[in-house]
Amino acid sequence: MKHPSTFKLILLILNLLMVSVLTACAPPAAEETPDEAAPEETEAMPEPTEEMVEEGGPITIMEWSGYEVTENPYLFPDFADTYTPTLESVTEYIFFAEDPEAFARIQSGVQVDLVHPCESYMGLYVEAGLMQPLDTSRIEYWDDLHPKLKEVGQVDGVQYFMPWDWGYESILVRTDLVEEVPDSWADLWDPQYAGNVMLWDSGQANYGMTALALGYEDPWEVLSPEVVEEVKQKLIELKPNVLTYWTDYTQTWDMPASGEAVLTANAWQDAYGYLVGEGYDVAYIDPAEGRMSWVCGYGILKDAQNIDLVYEFLNAAAAPSSAAGLGNWYWYGHANTAAVDLIDDYIVEFMSLDNIDVIFEETVFYQPITEEERGWLIDMWNDVKAAP
Amino acid sequence: MEHRSRIATLVSPPALFLIVLFLLPIGFMALFSFRVGTFGETRNMFTLDHYRDFFANAPLLRLLWRSLLISFWVSIYSVVLAYPIAYYLVFQGGDRKLLLLTIIIVPAWVSYLLRVLAWKVILGSTGILASFIAWIGLDPRESAFLLYSSDAVTVTLVYVWIPFVALPIFAALERIDPHLLEAAADLGCTKFEAFLRVTLPLSLPGVVAGFLFVFIPTVGEYVTPALVGGTEGVMFGNLIQDQFLRGLNWPVGSLMSLAMLAIVLVPLVVFARFFKISDIAGV
Repeated sequence: MKHPSTFKLILLILNLLMVSVLTACAPPAAEETPDEAAPEETEAMPEPTEEMVEEGGPITIMEWSGYEVTENPYLFPDFADTYTPTLESVTEYIFFAEDPEAFARIQSGVQVDLVHPCESYMGLYVEAGLMQPLDTSRIEYWDDLHPKLKEVGQVDGVQYFMPWDWGYESILVRTDLVEEVPDSWADLWDPQYAGNVMLWDSGQANYGMTALALGYEDPWEVLSPEVVEEVKQKLIELKPNVLTYWTDYTQTWDMPASGEAVLTANAWQDAYGYLVGEGYDVAYIDPAEGRMSWVCGYGILKDAQNIDLVYEFLNAAAAPSSAAGLGNWYWYGHANTAAVDLIDDYIVEFMSLDNIDVIFEETVFYQPITEEERGWLIDMWNDVKAAP
Repeated sequence: MEHRSRIATLVSPPALFLIVLFLLPIGFMALFSFRVGTFGETRNMFTLDHYRDFFANAPLLRLLWRSLLISFWVSIYSVVLAYPIAYYLVFQGGDRKLLLLTIIIVPAWVSYLLRVLAWKVILGSTGILASFIAWIGLDPRESAFLLYSSDAVTVTLVYVWIPFVALPIFAALERIDPHLLEAAADLGCTKFEAFLRVTLPLSLPGVVAGFLFVFIPTVGEYVTPALVGGTEGVMFGNLIQDQFLRGLNWPVGSLMSLAMLAIVLVPLVVFARFFKISDIAGV
């Protein structure tokens, strides 16, 4: 080195620059801090409505991205119609991509009024003491919601969650790429399908379908360490048939389309609808052991503010107009199964909405589970993935 | 004394950065590994159960070993492939040296995810490699390199990391005094012997640094295995991610992360004993 002191000086400056650049380039702070909870009017907004001024501010909803009424008013027409053009000032959204993310954030102190979890997580919220029971008398269309779906929203017999969206889980098959179309969950284990099966990367889903394949009528009734162990061994046996795991539902659209995933397990019916529309030879089978069904719904947090606005939203969510919006646009089921006339015929047909009572008798619904039970399923699935 | 104070100034802001943003979080993680649960009351209860269960879980430990093996081979392949590149750059590059170096580094600026997804196109069952194998008459499904295997993970990781390995090797080779090679020639060495007995030993610190450059990050890989690994290519990092994000089991996740950290420290300590930073940086 010819000029050590200059070199070291340059190195020092570079170090300081790097440190300041790295700290300045930190991602913007997450919006969701506990302070967000207090209603605040930070941007120029249209004149607040009388209701809002009376009852103290917008409602904050912890929601899946894609369901927000501000971007998708057709999902909650009654609410959107009442509050347009001030929709942005009556609702505040915090988005999540997966259930555990929502639960972790609420547990860490993010304040919301409404949360939209799915059945397996509903029990966790109640167990953690976060929820208040629903006053179902305040929901006009409560009786039109299907009883089987309402049951899923009950924890220890108390109605905490109002079901809103539901869907089937079954096996999506590329009929042109198989010799024999399976007709039960147990068929996934057939050696002829080696390397053709795509499974959901979810302990709950795989426990449910494997328990059915093993012959248990209701996986959630029998949930215990012994059965979980049995399921684990059975899933390890399935591994030679499995090509890969899907983590994002769009993979259930792409992979069957490309032909890589000939059998997609625990696929939802929206994938079927999409692939049929694109002209692929697919079948969404009716397994002998029964289709499974997921159910998601809204629950009110214990410390929710502006309860009246919350119930207004829930009423709009339970209304037939919401059923039409969700059914016709998303290929998902809506809890208000009485509103079947408003839904397009081809959707009614492939979701069997006109025969729903019979279908639901044979469908296996996910149920709320406790933190401990969820731990068993997570550990089981990790052990299955770790097995060689 | 002047020398020392210069060093002190050099080190101070980064040291603070390191302590607050690296050592402190690791301390929190270590604390978490003893907690019973993530939220609520269980967070304030402490236990050694997680440690006991971890060391008793044979399949998990085997997965850790398999992940280390994958990282190890990725590092070896990266070094073996990057060395000739660096060698050519230093000894044959001439005026174009900097340009060629830039060409090697630029792909590293493309989004990591895009580079991994590109391999899905190449390795997929309808991809380039499969089509080629079918064209020469073999059965593509028998090929281990195809998508959703641990070989796919290895190939993709090697591709991603070669630019990063080329750099330290380049730096080490660059430092070699060309007069040494002249002297070797004068003493009767062939070019190959000169390489073996002069160049290679002198570049060894760079080679080992490059090896560690790849080994340490790839041990914790989870994105690449999730995208191209399928069931066979699952790595330890995938389970850590699962425990943190889906399992919400931060104590176990922390414990698994610490286990990995401890294992990765071993080669680092060994390296630090045998080589000095000055050997690589040339300070």
